[in-house]
Amino acid sequence: MIELSNLTKSFNSGQPNQFTAVDNVTLAINPQQITVLKGPSGSGKTSLLSMIGCMARPTSGRIFLRGVAAALPFRQDGADAVEITSLPERFLNEIRRSTFGFIFQQFNLVKGISVLENVMLPAYPTGEGRAEFRARAVSLLEQFSIARLASQRVELLSGGELQRVAIARALINNPSIIIADEPTAHLDSKLSHEFMEIVGRLKGEGKSVLIASHDPIVFDSPLIDTLVEMRDGAIVASRSCR
Amino acid sequence: MILQPAVLALLLIALLVAGMGIYAGYYGMRILGQWDPASGSEGQLELERRTYLVSTIMSYILSFELMSLFLFIYTADELHPLFTGAMCAAGTLAVNSFGYPALIIKVVNFLLAGVWLIVNYADNRGYDYPLIKVKYELLNLLVPLLVLEGVLLFAYFAGVKPDIITSCCGSLFSHESSGFSGDLAMLPHLPMQIAFFSGMAVTGASGLFFYIRGRAGYLFSISSTVTFLVAVASVLSFICLYFYELPTHHCPFCLLQKEYGYIGYFLYATLFGGVVAGIGTGVLMPFRKVGSLIRIIPAIQRRLVLVTLCCYLLFTLITGWKMVFSALTLG
Ligand SMILES: Nc1ncnc2c1ncn2[C@@H]1O[C@H](COP(=O)(O)OP(=O)(O)OP(=O)(O)O)[C@@H](O)[C@H]1O
Ligand SMILES: [Mg+2]
Repeated sequence: MIELSNLTKSFNSGQPNQFTAVDNVTLAINPQQITVLKGPSGSGKTSLLSMIGCMARPTSGRIFLRGVAAALPFRQDGADAVEITSLPERFLNEIRRSTFGFIFQQFNLVKGISVLENVMLPAYPTGEGRAEFRARAVSLLEQFSIARLASQRVELLSGGELQRVAIARALINNPSIIIADEPTAHLDSKLSHEFMEIVGRLKGEGKSVLIASHDPIVFDSPLIDTLVEMRDGAIVASRSCR
Repeated sequence: MILQPAVLALLLIALLVAGMGIYAGYYGMRILGQWDPASGSEGQLELERRTYLVSTIMSYILSFELMSLFLFIYTADELHPLFTGAMCAAGTLAVNSFGYPALIIKVVNFLLAGVWLIVNYADNRGYDYPLIKVKYELLNLLVPLLVLEGVLLFAYFAGVKPDIITSCCGSLFSHESSGFSGDLAMLPHLPMQIAFFSGMAVTGASGLFFYIRGRAGYLFSISSTVTFLVAVASVLSFICLYFYELPTHHCPFCLLQKEYGYIGYFLYATLFGGVVAGIGTGVLMPFRKVGSLIRIIPAIQRRLVLVTLCCYLLFTLITGWKMVFSALTLG
């Protein structure tokens, strides 16, 4: 479970152009479910996701991760929850790598290297043996039916293929939480439906999925469990879809 | 004032250390007063970022501080030909009344800075700022001393003028000299030798015991500290005599000279390195059970103990070797 407590993110604090992108958000995100953040452009979805994923720090407020502590190499024996906004930078790296898998709007794949290398990239710093995570990467590519592209350079791929490479990369370190920011923005409706299918499968495997989107294919999907609506940095509605 | 590169470097380091110390001390006060990990307030989050910056800056600054002790004695040694009567650093330091106080405070600050670096290192290994209070309390103790050191250093170098007539080490560290240095020089050889070797033996045994069993850390820490003091007194009382091969020359600074192969730097480095690791082991003792450090501190302590043991062993071996093979025999 991810617990947000009075989370605020202000840019240019104390200056005339101060802007509050996320405003005092308190929210509990259930584990092993699909949660969708919906809201107009600029409502703070990306800002909120980057704080949860330890890529940005809040101005104030706390974020607790419960039940994922087992994935953290530095955890205390018996401790189940960890508060991430207070963690020193070096621990954030570990958390980002071990707990979260990211899928970005622009996919952010590295050009010039192969599909397989792209998928393996987040596993290099973990200290795990290369042969092991290479095998995992290959099996992920098979799972998403793109194994034949393994040695292809990524700039030659189609949008749907890029999408699946990005998903495979997000899964390489076996994270318990997947964060996807506007994952369908560059996909046609068929591929978007396909994406939701994959997400449903990930949930079935016990992963928590957190998606920011203003695509109806995503937020109207029968697969999602909770829909959270944001406006001007605040949560205006949160309802269970079950 | 003598404008030598080394002097300017020392003054610059002192300025930097004192200035950054005051900056860090300011945040230390705020952290000690306002730190509240349970709160997610803007102020608390800002302090969490700030302590990261402050501790990074201070770990560099205090490493400079450690090195500057050796630069200081090196400079004092280098400058001695400028003064009538000076034979080594002892004479340079005696040029005015700020020299020895500056040296003593530099030694004290060396020890405290070393301990702070150890505590900071341990604190940074834990994810929940486990030693933050201790770290800043120690820093707040250290900062005034760093400032005092800067003041004394400036006063000392400001009062250093060429051709001042000063004392020679022979008169400062002799049986006839009144004062603390003379008293140390006059300590009887045999009891000092017994104290020195038994101190080293107790430190070695308790260190090995701690390394293997993880117990009696305080005993080791205290023993290494006492042995350090005994060893410093021993340098004055008998160790240096074997190096000089003169029964009456007790100067601890001539050891730094080329004639004796600069052995002084090595001896003092092992002694100071060893005692800092030894004190650090003891300072970490109360925090062995802190949740996020439960596996980290024992590992750090074992490495510290190893540092002390190696340093002290080298010191003892060199001393023992010189006692056996020196042309001098003490009755
Ligand atoms: N580094 C920054 N400096 C200043 N303002 C920023 C910064 N990053 C984001 N913002 C502002 O914060 C607000 C929220 O941005 P955010 O990207 O979280 O919105 P979003 O809900 O993801 O929008 P979209 O649906 O268009 O992706 C926007 O108005 C944006 O301009
Ligand atoms: Mg966005």
